[in-house]
Amino acid sequence: MNRLRRSLGPAVLPLLAVLTAFIVGSIFIVITDFDNLSKLGSDPGAALGGAIGTVVAAYGALIVGAFGEPGNYWAAIQSGGDPKAIATAIRPITETLVAATPLIFTGLAVAVAFRTSVFNIGVEGQFILGAFGATVAAIVFSEQGLWPPLVLLLAIIFGIATGAVWGFIPGFLKARTGAHEVITTIMLNYVAAQIVLYGLRSDFLRQAGSSQPISKVLTVRMPLMFPDLPAIRLHWGFILALIVAALVSWFLFKTTKGYELRAAGFNMTAARYAGMSAGGAIILAMTVSGGLAALGGSMEVLGTVGQMSNDISSGFGFNAIALALLAGNRPSGVVAAALLFGALRTGGGLMQVKTGIPLDLLFFIQALVIMFVAAPLLIRSIYRMPARSTAEVSPV
Amino acid sequence: MTAASPAFTPLATELGVAERRALRDARIRGAIFAVVGLISFALASGLMEAPSTFSFWIDKQGGDSFTWETTSGLLWILTGVAFGAVGILQLVRGASFQWRRALLPLLALLITATLGTLLDGKVANLTGVFRGTLELATPITLGAFAGILSERSGMLNIAIEGKFLIGACTAAIVASVTDNALIGVLAAVVAGAGVGLLLAWLGIRHGVDQIISGVVVNIGALGITNFLFLRVLSKNTELNTPPSIEAIKVPLLSEIPIIGPILFSGTPYLYFTIGLMIFFWYMLFRSKWGLRLRASGEKPSAAGTVGIDVLAIRYRAMMMAGMVAAIAGSYLSLSSAGSFQMNMSAGRGFIALAAMIFGAWHPVYAFGAALVFGFSDATQALLSILGVDVPPQLLNSVPYIVTIIVVAGVVGRVRGPAAAGQPYIQG
Repeated sequence: MNRLRRSLGPAVLPLLAVLTAFIVGSIFIVITDFDNLSKLGSDPGAALGGAIGTVVAAYGALIVGAFGEPGNYWAAIQSGGDPKAIATAIRPITETLVAATPLIFTGLAVAVAFRTSVFNIGVEGQFILGAFGATVAAIVFSEQGLWPPLVLLLAIIFGIATGAVWGFIPGFLKARTGAHEVITTIMLNYVAAQIVLYGLRSDFLRQAGSSQPISKVLTVRMPLMFPDLPAIRLHWGFILALIVAALVSWFLFKTTKGYELRAAGFNMTAARYAGMSAGGAIILAMTVSGGLAALGGSMEVLGTVGQMSNDISSGFGFNAIALALLAGNRPSGVVAAALLFGALRTGGGLMQVKTGIPLDLLFFIQALVIMFVAAPLLIRSIYRMPARSTAEVSPV
Repeated sequence: MTAASPAFTPLATELGVAERRALRDARIRGAIFAVVGLISFALASGLMEAPSTFSFWIDKQGGDSFTWETTSGLLWILTGVAFGAVGILQLVRGASFQWRRALLPLLALLITATLGTLLDGKVANLTGVFRGTLELATPITLGAFAGILSERSGMLNIAIEGKFLIGACTAAIVASVTDNALIGVLAAVVAGAGVGLLLAWLGIRHGVDQIISGVVVNIGALGITNFLFLRVLSKNTELNTPPSIEAIKVPLLSEIPIIGPILFSGTPYLYFTIGLMIFFWYMLFRSKWGLRLRASGEKPSAAGTVGIDVLAIRYRAMMMAGMVAAIAGSYLSLSSAGSFQMNMSAGRGFIALAAMIFGAWHPVYAFGAALVFGFSDATQALLSILGVDVPPQLLNSVPYIVTIIVVAGVVGRVRGPAAAGQPYIQG
C-alpha cells in the first residue's frame, strides 16, 4: 500500500490539477449558455438540469471522441475480423495516438531544455523548420530516384539537423553572450515561419496549380502501422516517439552528459565549480531540444500529413510547454501527458461537432492545468491537503 | 565567470574588465558603421542616374501633394556620409559616444535610400507610410511600457500578448453593451489590472516562475477569448459591434502642411501614448516613486533594507502594467479593427517585448524601437501596393533578426534590471 502510494504520489497533484481545471472549464460552458441561463428565473430546476446536461454531453463527447464508442467495439468483435468494422471502432483511439505523436517529441524537447534550466519557447519554430527540412530533403532525394527507405532516412536526418541548428543558435547566444533564450527563441519562431513561407512559395516545393503555401505531396512516407485497415492514419512514428522517450530518459538519468545537463540546470554555479562546462551544457541541451522538436516535425510531415504547409504545427510547440510542466519534465510523464493532450485534441473535435462547444476551451483548460501544477499550494489549499514537510520543489 | 583562484591578482592595466569590454564593443560598433558607410558609397556609384521620388500629402489624405525628386545615388551618398561620420566619431570617442541617439536618424536615412532604390522611380507617398507607422507603433509602444513597468520593478513580463487579447475582448464586449467606447476602455483597464494582479499573486505569493505564469496567461487568454468569440460573440453579434474610437484632428496643429496629416490627425490613443511616454520617463527617472521602483528591480534586498516595501511596489507595478497593456488591447478592437477578432493581437505582444529590450527598458527609446517595427510593417504594405518585387518574408524577418542581434549584444550590450525574474522574500 505504501509502495503504491509512493509510485502514485507524483501523479496525484497533476491529476487533481486536471480535474480542477475541467471543473473550472465546465463553469465557463454553463455561464456562456445563454438560452439555459434565461430559464434560471422561471424554472431553476430545469436550468440546473440543463446545465449539468450540457456539461455531461460535452465531456461525454470528449471521451467518446478520444477513445471510441463502446458499441463500435462490440460490433467489431461480432463482425469477426471485418477490417471496416475494426477501423470504425479503433479510429478514435488511433487518432488520439496520432495527435499524441508530435506532442511526445515537442514535450521531450521542452523537458530536456527545462532540465538544464533553459526555457525553450522556440520548440514551435524548431518543429516547423524541422518539418520543412525533412520536406526539402524528401523532395530532392526522391526526385533523384534514390531508394525510398534511404530517402526516408535522409529526410529524417536532414529534418533533425535543421531543427538542431535552430536550437543551437539560441543556446550558443545564451552561453556566449547571455542573450535571454526566451527572447531569442520567440524571435527565431517568427523567422522560422517566414523561412517556411518563403520556401513554400518557390516553384520547386510548391504544389502545382496552388497559390497557397502548400508543398507537393510527398511520395515517400512513414509506413502505416495498420495498412490493411481503411482510414487509420497511425504510423510507425508513434513507436519511434516511445523509443525516443526511452532514449531521452536513459540519456538524462544514466549518462555523464545527461548528469551534467541536470547539474547545470539544478545549480549552474555549483556545476561550474565542479568543473563542468555550464555553457556547454546549455548549448547541448538546446541543440538536443531543437533536434527532438524537429524530429517531431519530420514525423508529422512524413507520417501524418504527407505534405508541408505553413500551418503544419497546430500549436504543438506551445502546447508542449504546458505538457512538460504537467509531466514534471520526466520523459515517462511526457508520454502520459501527451496521450492526455492528444485525447483532448481528438475528443475536442467531436465535442465541437456534437455540442457546439469550441475546441479552444481546452486550451484555456490547459492553461489552468499548468497554473495549478506550477502553484501546488493552490491545489493543496483547495483540497485541504497537508503541505509537505520539506519545501515543495517546483518541477523546473 | 569569476576567477576562483585565491591567488588572483588583477592584470596590470589601467582599464577594468567592464571598461575594456565597453571599448571593444565601441570599436566593433564603429567598424560596423564604417562598413555600412562604405557599402553605401559603393551602391551610390551605380545609382547616380536612378530617379527616386517621394511625395507627401500637404493638407489631408488624398488632397494636394508635395513631391520631392532626387536620385538614389544621392540618397546613398548621404547615407554613406552619415554612417561614415558616426563610425569615425564612435572610433574616436570610444565608449563615451552616445551612439543610441544617432541610430534613429541613421536608420531613417538607410531605409529611405533602400526604399528609393527599390521603388526605382515609382512615386511613393510617405504620408500614408508615416501614419501607418504611428498606428502600428501605438499598441507596440504601450505593450513595451507595460513590460518596462513590470521589469523595472523586478517582475518578468512575457504576458503582454495575453493582456492585449483580454483587453481587446473586454473592451469590445463592454463597449457594445453600454454603447460607450470610454466605458469599454475602462472595463479593459479593470480586466488588465486583474490579470496583472493574478500574475503578481502567482509570482510573489506562490513563487511560480514568472515565465511560467506568463505562459499561463498567454495560453489561457488565447483559449478563453477564442472560446468566447466562437460560443458567444459570433452568434450574438450585437455584443461585438462596439462604437469605434475615431481619429481626432487637433485644431490648428493639424493644419500644418505635411506634418499635420501625419502627426496631428491620429487617434486619441496616439496622443495618449506620447503623453504616457513623457509621463513615464519623468516618473521613472525623476521621481521618488521611480527611484524606488528601479531599486526594487535592481537590488531588492538593498531596497528592503532601507524600508521600501518591495512586494507592494511589485504588486502595484504589475497591476499598472496590466492596465497599460489592456489599453493597447482596447486600441486593437475599438480603434484599429472596429470589433474583436480571434487572436487579433497576432504576436504584437512579443514584438512589444522586443521593443522594450531594443529600447533598453527606457520609455522614450522603446517608442523609437516601436517606430522601427511599425515602419517596417508600413513600408511592406507600401511596397506590396506598388507591386515592388521584394519577398515580404525577407522584410518581415528583419525586425526579429535585429532584435536577436541587439539582445545578443553584438551592436551594443543592453542590460535589463538585475533582479527581474528573481523572487524576493521579504523578511
